[in-house]
Amino acid sequence: MKHWGCCDNLMPYATVAEPYAGPMLAGFDHARLGHDQHVVFPELTLHISQGERIALLGRSGVGKSTLLDALRVQLGDQSAWCPQANALVPTLSAYHNIYMGRLAHFSRWQNLINLLRPNRACWQEISALAETLGLDGLLHRQVDQLSGGQQQRVAIARALYQNRPVFLGDEPVSSVDPRQGMRLLDLIKARHPTCVVALHQRELALEHFDRIIGLNDGRITIDAPSRDLTTDDLDVLYVPE
Amino acid sequence: MSRNEAPASGFNWLRSDNIGARLLRLTLAMVAIMVVLLPLADLSITTRDPWTELWRMLKGMMLPDVTATESPLHALLLTITFALWGVALGMVLGFPLALIFMRSRLVRSLCAFVRAIHELFWALLFLQVFGLSAITALAAIALPYAATFAKVYAEILAQIDRSPARMLSPDTDRLSRFVYTELPLAWQRLSGYTRYRFECALRASVLLGFVGLPTLGYYLESAFRQGRYHEGGALLWAFYLLIALLHWWAHRRLLLPWLVGTAFLLGPWPSVNPTLLWQFISHDIWPQPLLDGDFGALPAWFTGLPNLLPAIGNTLLLGLMSTVGSLLVCLLAWPLVSRHFGNRATRTMGRGTLIVMRSTPELLLAFILLLLTGPSLLPAWIALSLHNGALIAFLAARHADGITPGLPGIKGVDLYSHELMPRIYPGILALLFYRAEVIMRETALLGMLGVVTLGFHIDSSFEYLMFDQAVALLMVTAVINMTVDVLSRRLRPGALPERCDQPRPAPVNESV
Repeated sequence: MKHWGCCDNLMPYATVAEPYAGPMLAGFDHARLGHDQHVVFPELTLHISQGERIALLGRSGVGKSTLLDALRVQLGDQSAWCPQANALVPTLSAYHNIYMGRLAHFSRWQNLINLLRPNRACWQEISALAETLGLDGLLHRQVDQLSGGQQQRVAIARALYQNRPVFLGDEPVSSVDPRQGMRLLDLIKARHPTCVVALHQRELALEHFDRIIGLNDGRITIDAPSRDLTTDDLDVLYVPE
Repeated sequence: MSRNEAPASGFNWLRSDNIGARLLRLTLAMVAIMVVLLPLADLSITTRDPWTELWRMLKGMMLPDVTATESPLHALLLTITFALWGVALGMVLGFPLALIFMRSRLVRSLCAFVRAIHELFWALLFLQVFGLSAITALAAIALPYAATFAKVYAEILAQIDRSPARMLSPDTDRLSRFVYTELPLAWQRLSGYTRYRFECALRASVLLGFVGLPTLGYYLESAFRQGRYHEGGALLWAFYLLIALLHWWAHRRLLLPWLVGTAFLLGPWPSVNPTLLWQFISHDIWPQPLLDGDFGALPAWFTGLPNLLPAIGNTLLLGLMSTVGSLLVCLLAWPLVSRHFGNRATRTMGRGTLIVMRSTPELLLAFILLLLTGPSLLPAWIALSLHNGALIAFLAARHADGITPGLPGIKGVDLYSHELMPRIYPGILALLFYRAEVIMRETALLGMLGVVTLGFHIDSSFEYLMFDQAVALLMVTAVINMTVDVLSRRLRPGALPERCDQPRPAPVNESV
């Protein structure tokens, strides 16, 4: 994947007009974002500060994934990443899929041995994590034998296991019921001071996030605190052209 | 298929540019070229009474004599041993090559060259150095299989889902990335393909008997050649049982016990004389003028070669005839094993027939037919068409079984010609062109039975210890096979532009 201008156009931190509390983490200034010769955002300006809880809304294909990808490149090691459609390895166990969150952290030999025989310390840590996500007893199970909702929770567990300050999620709660979705979002928020999450449930977005960013037609059409918005304000994002 | 009785307006349709018309044109062109060239082929029957002989063979098959062969169990186990260790070595060699296959043109060309020469020719070559030994048998299987594994493993690894790997942090080391996100995703197809190749290796191992290694083929050949059909029948049944029960005795859990257990059967180990080996590599296999640096004498050396044109002509002709023959056999045979046609009894019988046709090594089938007809292209043509046609028919039937006809209640010829054939024909042709490369390799091989193809001259060159000539002929064979491979890849329906929303079968698993 190729990104243009997502890093070089960054404004120096001090000159950013700061409407929010924390220091700035990432941002774009009149940046052109896209992938594979295809420009999605011709001129994007957006700043994200520490401690913000941001929901990305918009129709599918509007560029939420592109924006998250660009943020992921900028944030590098600071971000935990929960990709769309889970991107799990179906033939490995749930444990190994979660372990993959920290693959770069361990030595290659430990990774190799862990594949044959789970590392005791990692197993304990991952079982504790799995328990909070309601995955207890499923760690040995091969991922393709889990239900869609369970797979999604494995993907979230893998992101949580990365243990990073910023959570970037591309529809991480799309295939669980609303009640469970709320619980999972609470868990994500409790473990990450900052998060940027693409969603399609408007109510969840308004209830759980401080700031809503609405994308439409290659630009940001809504960027406001969630307390100033109602679901009707968000409807405009989903009106077919 | 209504291709032969196209109405007047059908010629317009044939001229049109859609994918069906293109495939039809391709098929018709192939059939037409074959029909035109057919008079050039020697299809004579030279034996006096083929029918009596056939009857005696059938009697031998029906009344097999299991006690006739001295140590059938040893021959059977040795067949398994060579196949198992040959494939294991091939994997060990081929897997690392697969990892650099897509990046290195050198590796790709080398593999294409090694693959282009049939296992049995490799065996003939190694035989000169290592004699009738385990090294000859293992190298003959492992070398071409390593080249095939390198190519197919690389193709499988290139097709896996990349999204789990993209999720990893960019700092992840290559090994961890590979064992966590690439190998598990490819594992099933890798092991499935290796399994299929093991079945092929069993056939190759049987064939090694034709050059004198004491596998099943050795006893099969002598039994059939000397007319001891009851013994030959028993050995043939033993081989069919071996293939039919493959999934039972070659279970994954039994793999290690088999490897360890058969290790003791490997042998005999030759005492290699390094001087002779070096003499062979550095001197014997090169043309004398080239060694002397006397390039003026090279043309004279070339005129010393046997007249290759008839042999090359026969090889290519047999290749084309067998490709078309396989297509016809497949078109006739696939409904026998498809759920859309017949009942349980006919399907079981059809499956039995096709399994026998598919499992019999082509060379053995040709050899048996040759005893009936005498040496001509006819037995080779029938054998290659039956074997490859049956193989493609199975895959075609499986493809057809996945299709639900759009019209309810459509049956018989209508179902075949209007619902199923249009859908599976591109797949059949794709498989056929994949198979053309294998067919070409095997045509050359049939020369060992006395059919005047390139293999005939290779075999006799080795026999007269003219190694320089044998190696030169092997090179010619390899070049022809590689050319046909490139050609068939160009013609394969996958290479034709088509609508991308139609999923086509990916035949890589079963074909090479």
